[in-house]
Amino acid sequence: MILRCENLGWRVRRKEIVSNASLTLNEGEMLGLIGPNGSGKSTLLRMLAGVRYPSTGRVYLGGTPMPELRQREIAQTLALVEQHADTEERITVREAVELGRTPFLSVLQPWSQDDEAIVVDAIAAVDLHGFENRNWHTLSGGERQRVQIARALAQQPQVLLLDEPTNHLDIKHQLAILQLVKELPITKVVALHDLNQAMICDRICVMHAGRIEALGVPAEILTETRLMNTFGVCGHFMTDPFDGSPVIRFHRAHRMD
Amino acid sequence: MITTDRKSSRSAYRNLWKWAVIAPPLLFFALVAGTAMGETSIPMDVVLKVLANKIFGAAYPVDRIDAGIIWSYRLARAVVAACCGAGLALSGVVLQALLRNSLADPYLLGISAGASTGAVAVAIIGLGGGLISMSAGAFVGALLAFAFVAMLASLAGGGTGLRAAGVIVLAGIAGSQLFNALTAFLIAKSANAEQARGIMFWLMGNLSGVRWADTITVVPAALFGLLVCIFNIRALDAFTFGSDSAASLGIAVKRVQFGLIAVAALMTAAMVSITGSIGFVGLVIPHAMRLVVGTRHRALLPASALAGAIFLIMADIIARIVIPGQVLPIGVVTALVGAPVFALILIGRRAAV
Ligand SMILES: Nc1ncnc2c1ncn2[C@@H]1O[C@H](COP(=O)(O)OP(=O)(O)OP(=O)(O)O)[C@@H](O)[C@H]1O
Ligand SMILES: [Mg+2]
Repeated sequence: MILRCENLGWRVRRKEIVSNASLTLNEGEMLGLIGPNGSGKSTLLRMLAGVRYPSTGRVYLGGTPMPELRQREIAQTLALVEQHADTEERITVREAVELGRTPFLSVLQPWSQDDEAIVVDAIAAVDLHGFENRNWHTLSGGERQRVQIARALAQQPQVLLLDEPTNHLDIKHQLAILQLVKELPITKVVALHDLNQAMICDRICVMHAGRIEALGVPAEILTETRLMNTFGVCGHFMTDPFDGSPVIRFHRAHRMD
Repeated sequence: MITTDRKSSRSAYRNLWKWAVIAPPLLFFALVAGTAMGETSIPMDVVLKVLANKIFGAAYPVDRIDAGIIWSYRLARAVVAACCGAGLALSGVVLQALLRNSLADPYLLGISAGASTGAVAVAIIGLGGGLISMSAGAFVGALLAFAFVAMLASLAGGGTGLRAAGVIVLAGIAGSQLFNALTAFLIAKSANAEQARGIMFWLMGNLSGVRWADTITVVPAALFGLLVCIFNIRALDAFTFGSDSAASLGIAVKRVQFGLIAVAALMTAAMVSITGSIGFVGLVIPHAMRLVVGTRHRALLPASALAGAIFLIMADIIARIVIPGQVLPIGVVTALVGAPVFALILIGRRAAV
């Protein structure tokens, strides 16, 4: 499924949060979305997911402009994992993941064996087997994040948008989740802060002050000048002695003034 | 809930039809109890005989006065109580889910106060020149009050979480006070002393004087509300993680929010136009039911409707027998139960954060 946007912009009180963002995702690719805090990554992802209405421009899902699609049709092909999702309700892990089947079930349609199998698989995929009956508010931050990812997987989407999916995870689960996402045969957009992890993406999109500053394969995009100009840090590239892949080593940040 | 055996909790959650089996006998029993108990209690068998005579055309010999009390007075009253209880509890469930706020309740949010103002405006000063009913006036008042409270809350910083929960309750207090003041003003301006006394009593939530004619308003309102809610079970569930999350699950957020809040206001308005504002039902019942059946709406909605109905029938019995020779407004009874529960919820929220 192809996701594309043209001249996407969003503003609040005449302040441009995202402007002029145009992107075309290749089928099956994993696109990394990087940029400093407040550069508009989450806002762009929300617009791409159809949960926030852009002030200008349009998103096309499978060639159709999003406003012409019903919310339900969008949710049947596209899933979003939010950066901060929380609830006060006493909901179990299983019930939270079951929400992922919402777009596929009509009002009084009963729960089927298929739905059950999909939910079980999604829980297993994020390594939460045995947590099914735990209450949401008893989970750790990383466990909650994995529940959200499982919920999105239960939607069996063709396009998956993840907003910092690894930010609360321990290193093992960070790598496991990224690998899992990478191997999904669908189109993925992942907002990330760890630039070394971003290198496993097929392409990288750099955002800065609400604009798309660069777009391309990691080796071209991530350069020492870019680290300095966009992120304000000094870093240089080394080669991993094991597999020859590039690794960024950061030196020091500029003072935050 | 955590320790419930997986199988049993599954089937309990899944099977909506189960409620169609459980609810009628319980409701029937509550209605019979509500009819039998009162200042003079009437034996169950007499109640059942009168019901059989009236409904199935049986010809059991019964005292005519007893029959009159049972059929025209107490049963009508119990039916209205049941519908009000169910409607108010459902409104509470809906508001709590959509506003993601465990303190949302038609009474606390000022919706009941707005409905009272609307009903009084029609009843006393004759707004609409007799063309609109008290219920319609109440509905408009309820929507105005909700709009006012929602606007105030969003200006004061909306969102979710503990602070926002506090904000919306404060906005609700402001709304209730404003609309109660408007009501008092309307009464002072236009009603004579006798009328005023009656209306004040009615405003506190009162089932005295309820007759079969009143069921024409409350029964359809409760059934319609229940149906709309049941059709939106999955949508209500989808709001668990907020409205963005609901949208990403395919819910047309604006339409569902607007539609369901209108239905909650409609139910509240219909109930208030008959019984005055009965407080705390929409708060207490959903909270109690969450502890029993969990937070998923396929169980929570029917359980709350049923428990709300039974709760209000029981509250009405208590209102009638607790002070011999005098009938307490039912709103007093629900407040005596509800206020402590409200306090417990507040304390519980603090502990949970
Ligand atoms: N509703 C809003 N009102 C005002 N400003 C907003 C609103 N939503 C976002 N912003 C601002 O827009 C900017 C971009 O926000 P966004 O959440 O998209 O950033 P981000 O790139 O995801 O940052 P982070 O890396 O911290 O997650 C921020 O400066 C934020 O303060
Ligand atoms: Mg963000």
